[in-house]
Amino acid sequence: MKVESWISILRGLYALLFRYRHVTWNCQSPSLRILVINWTSMLVKSICRTILPRLGLKWSHLRGVHTALLTRARLLAAEHTKLSEQLGESFDAKTAKRAGELAPIANILREWVNANDSIVELKSLLTDPSTDAELRSLATEDLQSSRDALPTISDRLKKALIPRHPFADLPCLLEIRPGAGGDEAGLFAFEMLRMYVAFCSRRGLRPTILKQDTEVGPSDDRLSEAVIEIEANGAYDILRTESGVHRVQRVPATETKGRTHTSAVSVMVLPSFPEDGSEMDSALNFEDPNSDYYIDPQEVRVEKMRAGGAGGQHVNKTESAIRLTHIPTHTVVSMQDERSQQANRRKAWQMLRAKLAEARQEAREQELMQLRRGILGGVAKMGRGDKIRTYNFGQSRCTDHRTGITIHNLDSILDGGDGLDTVMDSVRTWMADSEVEAMVAEDMAKAKSK
Amino acid sequence: MRSRGYPLQYILGDQPFGDLEILCRRGVLIPRPETESYTYQAAKLVREIALDRKDASKPPNKARPLRVIDLCTGTGCIPLLLHASLAPHFQQLEITGVDISPTALSLAQENLEHNLQLGQLASSASTDIRFHRADVLGNGNDNSVPSIESILKTQFPNFGALDTLPPDQESGCDLLISNPPYISQTEFRNGTTARSVRRFEPKLALVPPYSCSGIEDCMPEDIFYHRILTLAFKLKAKLTVLECGDSSQANRVVALHKRLASAESGKSSAEVWPSREKDLAENGFHVTDGSRSVIIQTLQ
Repeated sequence: MKVESWISILRGLYALLFRYRHVTWNCQSPSLRILVINWTSMLVKSICRTILPRLGLKWSHLRGVHTALLTRARLLAAEHTKLSEQLGESFDAKTAKRAGELAPIANILREWVNANDSIVELKSLLTDPSTDAELRSLATEDLQSSRDALPTISDRLKKALIPRHPFADLPCLLEIRPGAGGDEAGLFAFEMLRMYVAFCSRRGLRPTILKQDTEVGPSDDRLSEAVIEIEANGAYDILRTESGVHRVQRVPATETKGRTHTSAVSVMVLPSFPEDGSEMDSALNFEDPNSDYYIDPQEVRVEKMRAGGAGGQHVNKTESAIRLTHIPTHTVVSMQDERSQQANRRKAWQMLRAKLAEARQEAREQELMQLRRGILGGVAKMGRGDKIRTYNFGQSRCTDHRTGITIHNLDSILDGGDGLDTVMDSVRTWMADSEVEAMVAEDMAKAKSK
Repeated sequence: MRSRGYPLQYILGDQPFGDLEILCRRGVLIPRPETESYTYQAAKLVREIALDRKDASKPPNKARPLRVIDLCTGTGCIPLLLHASLAPHFQQLEITGVDISPTALSLAQENLEHNLQLGQLASSASTDIRFHRADVLGNGNDNSVPSIESILKTQFPNFGALDTLPPDQESGCDLLISNPPYISQTEFRNGTTARSVRRFEPKLALVPPYSCSGIEDCMPEDIFYHRILTLAFKLKAKLTVLECGDSSQANRVVALHKRLASAESGKSSAEVWPSREKDLAENGFHVTDGSRSVIIQTLQ
């Protein structure tokens, strides 16, 4: 059968499903609904299995090494050979360090090239009619094992090439604030807080709610701001895919006429610096005035918020709020969740450091982007102001706009389950790929200008 | 209970005070954040004075401990916080807490042990800090409570013979600090004092007893200051820190100090803290209302 006809059948099936979606989605019996969903997913899977090989596609191809990545790896490997030659003639600490950095990349690239060569060789053996039967069976076996090994090598190559984010090893702070959408945004922000807390617990990262301010209203499930601290090292790297504006489309609980609303919740992932900075390396040590992340205490205004009126023995107030303002950037942090003012002050400083570090890092990335734009023109970058994900309750789907991935099990996402993992993994891959692409483009532009 | 104004600290049983956790119980005044600020400020000043003395290249007498007296100590929050912030800077400390209430004294001792257990205090605190029962106002006429003088005599051997000693003798007290009862009878009733405080916190720690002794030249709510300032001269306190209810009371205390100082020899300066806008904002004081402290420094 021709490919086109397969596609048309698929399209027809999909249209059918779409037309009767309200039947399946709104049907009263849950068992029937599960049956329908199961049947649908089985159908889709079997179709994929039959069609894709016919189209000449294989999953492994989609997961292979990006050409851009290869180009960069080759460039770096070439640099490594050059540096090693230089080192052979005369030793220089700086050259040696760079060569040391490049060595793993060059090694993995060599492995990858070897694996590919062997596959090509084995294939030619198999196609060669003069090969005897015993050799042929051996070759088939070898080919299989080489093919199996290739994806892991590719992954390693990819990982080696991508420069680590400067905050990758740090714990993080996750800030959730409702955006446009009023009450509904506050409600969804609360659900997102629950989602991330559940996600972290499931992954074995301990989430601590540093701050949870709810709006004054009939019930306290409308968030006005929340900050979670995830103390595990490397949490920043795991959660950094979540920074940005999350959009929700649904009929809110507050809606009386059944209209669907669209609201937004912004999430910010900030690096959390350890309180005692001395263990960090110099670049990240915020206590060192030369560090990029140093904050001059002179530039921070500390306010203990207190209402007017008599004080001292006359009253016994339990509030202990603290507000810090970084004057040059007008960054304001306030903290009032702890009973002790000292504890609030510590947390507020931690938050302020995190915010400023993130802002400075962002500024640096922006600068880099400007440079790249100058060379290439138009490189996409997702900032914190961009809409990154949509949660659509009506269609029970979640779509990430960066990767285009759509998950149809919204519950597993909102419960911080596997669905969220899948989405985050896809974004992580996307981030790595776009990073690499930008790097390669930059390298090529550099090479051209030379 | 809370809706009737029962203080949260009595329900939970503790109140954070600096890095310490101070246990609170009915019958003892709950530590206030303002007191926390004064205590930190006092500790800072003590350190500065000690540094100045070193700069003046006098041979620092290592054997002599830094002496601190806290009158009307209540939960013992001030001595404990002072020990926590001064212990890293001074080798030897001698901190005395004085109160009239046996309930307060036993709670203060409990707080000392509690914070030692929490690891917020250096182990030396158990020997450095002593709590004594004494009546700051009394003259020893009442036999049940010893007078403050008799306690101080045991602590400071030179207490009685002050005038015979040369003025720069390093035997006096380095810091006399106090948060005495300072609410007047009227302010206690007219709504200035919050209902919760009025109903649930001990009046003994809030309102000075109606003038019993013959101190005529000050308001009834200021009698503690009169008494403490007199003691400060006798002790040759290098630094005296007194918490007051508001800025007018603080100004009265400064005036009182001037009157008393004119009778005594030696120079000293008295100032109200915090007075500058910046300090006010940073330490959480309201610009016009709220409590103040008077800091008296003896100049050499």
